[in-house]
Amino acid sequence: MLNDIKVGLLGAKSSIKRGNKKTLTFIVFVLALIFINLVFLPSMIGGFSVMFTGFMQYPYGDIVIEPSMDNSYINNADNVLQKVRAVPGVTFVTKRLDAGASIQYKQKVVGSSIIGMLPSEEYGTSNYPYIISDGEFLGDLSRDEIIIGAMLVEGYFGSEIYDNLGAVRVGSFVNVTYSNGVTRIYKVKGIMEGTFELVDLNALMHYKEIEDVFDIGGSKATSVIVRVKNTDDAVKIKEKIISAGVKEQVFTRDEKSDAILRQAMQSIDMINVVSKFVSLIVGAALILIIIYINVLNRKKEIGILKAVGISPRSIVFSYAFISMFYVSMGIMAGLILYFFVMFYFTVNPVTFYETMTIIPEIQAGLIIQSIFTMLIMSVIAGILPAWRVSKESILKAIWGR
Amino acid sequence: MKEKILIRIKNLERHYKSGEGIVRALDNVSFEIKKGEFVAVMGASGSGKTTMLRILGLMDFPTKGEYSVQGLNVEELPEEERTYYRLTQLGYVFQDYALMNEMSALENVYVLSLMEGKSKKEAIATAKEALNKVGLGDKGNRIPDELSGGEKQRVAVARAIAKKPMILFADEPCANLDTHTSEQVLEVFKILNEKFGQTIVMVTHEPWHTKYVSRIINLKDGKIVSDKRRRNGFN
Ligand SMILES: Nc1ncnc2c1ncn2[C@@H]1O[C@H](COP(=O)(O)OP(=O)(O)OP(=O)(O)O)[C@@H](O)[C@H]1O
Ligand SMILES: [Mg+2]
Repeated sequence: MLNDIKVGLLGAKSSIKRGNKKTLTFIVFVLALIFINLVFLPSMIGGFSVMFTGFMQYPYGDIVIEPSMDNSYINNADNVLQKVRAVPGVTFVTKRLDAGASIQYKQKVVGSSIIGMLPSEEYGTSNYPYIISDGEFLGDLSRDEIIIGAMLVEGYFGSEIYDNLGAVRVGSFVNVTYSNGVTRIYKVKGIMEGTFELVDLNALMHYKEIEDVFDIGGSKATSVIVRVKNTDDAVKIKEKIISAGVKEQVFTRDEKSDAILRQAMQSIDMINVVSKFVSLIVGAALILIIIYINVLNRKKEIGILKAVGISPRSIVFSYAFISMFYVSMGIMAGLILYFFVMFYFTVNPVTFYETMTIIPEIQAGLIIQSIFTMLIMSVIAGILPAWRVSKESILKAIWGR
Repeated sequence: MKEKILIRIKNLERHYKSGEGIVRALDNVSFEIKKGEFVAVMGASGSGKTTMLRILGLMDFPTKGEYSVQGLNVEELPEEERTYYRLTQLGYVFQDYALMNEMSALENVYVLSLMEGKSKKEAIATAKEALNKVGLGDKGNRIPDELSGGEKQRVAVARAIAKKPMILFADEPCANLDTHTSEQVLEVFKILNEKFGQTIVMVTHEPWHTKYVSRIINLKDGKIVSDKRRRNGFN
């Protein structure tokens, strides 16, 4: 066996060293493209998920606690807050109270979710305070004030797609009718722009106001938002929160966005899998054809090698090494190309609506997986033809009959 | 001194199926070859020379008959052992050099020693020794394309003799060479035979080649029609 490998290596070495360099360059180039195809799209998809998951921080923080199945509120949210604050790794916690309402400005009415929050606590918990494009964020005394999402306001990004309130501006007064029928008037304190529907179709208000409108006391909440020091620990911290005695439902942001993303991702993943599959087949076929032509051209040489006592196994090894070499070169070229492309897209991210950018995500696991897939593919594609020809009788291989 | 018998074939037959029916390429052939003989197998085209050499070289199987080397019935060896036997015991020189075009002369020769399990260093030393024997000690790094026909054939001879085979077979080794280069190759054979006692079985149809050999077997239509040993010339 060792001898077979040694002889195979010698055969592969001499054939690569003295083989046609143009063909080699071409093969390596095509294999590099195939490698890119295996890793590029997933990197962009990865970048898309990262971006999307980032948006999910608004409603869900890093971890979100929601009412248990048959309750519409978390009862005694302060108690939950207290428990969560004691969990190591947690940096900020706050409660929110959401309500459905319709907002009216002059003739126009739109339905919206109103998020009731404790303004000063949001600075550490969410991005809301930082995305006010006009006016100011709520203060702790903002009981009669409201922040309106940009997509509800004429002239702002995305508003043309949705029903909007027209030319409402900072300082305008709007009527808000809550789902329980209560109507109140609020002054627009700011307009927030997160360039994402999940944010920009909503409105923000003081927690106390919602509590008051719905006449609920005892620190009820529709969600408790948790931020952690290191998002990689979110799963662990979630477990800790549960073991700290929180009876409500606890989700990490990834779980939440997964649920939403899953459907979109499923179709993207399908495309991804198909495209990977196709390029792997193309790669395998390329190597198969190249080795097959090579092997057919050398049928006689192979016969002679066998005639003088070289084992068929070492001939197969030799072709396996040759195709492994092709693919390794292809992978290396592909990696270089890949990092260039990644670098390019990191510096010049793909941009949607001018503000949403996808920065590709380099996934080491995926790269390693692709390298192995290609190596295995190449070995099989290289071995098959060599194995077939090496099994032929010497007479047939050398003299053709 | 009793001469040692290396090859013994008895009632050997090889039939080919062809369009017109069965061709008896070898028809009831029997002979023995002793150690140290340099045998020329001669005969008209189609007389069965190549057929016989392939069988002797363990590349083909007889349809009938016995073939033993040093008493070992080599016909009965399984394929893997036949390959190993060819590798270690038999040398074969083809008419058209049959070198690996992408390997240097040295690699062409030492690949067989590697296969035998020698270390690279040993293998290269053995190959160099063989190349020296055929007078190509200085051309080991050339690839076949950079060698003349005669040189290529001598590399092929070096490949065949590096292992110091029990028997060296050559099927019309000079068919593609001019007279001068043929002489070079035949000289190498002669030296190997006379100096190192190498047993050689060579197919040829050039009458002048017989001056190098010690025995001539003549085939006609697959049968032996004459078998002469040199005393002081053949007659
Ligand atoms: N594979 C084969 N199938 C059918 N017939 C064959 C085959 N190989 C050889 N023959 C026939 O067997 C006979 C002997 O062939 P062989 O090649 O041994 O002759 P040879 O003496 O070597 O001739 P040459 O001097 O032309 O090389 C010929 O009649 C040839 O046509
Ligand atoms: Mg012949």
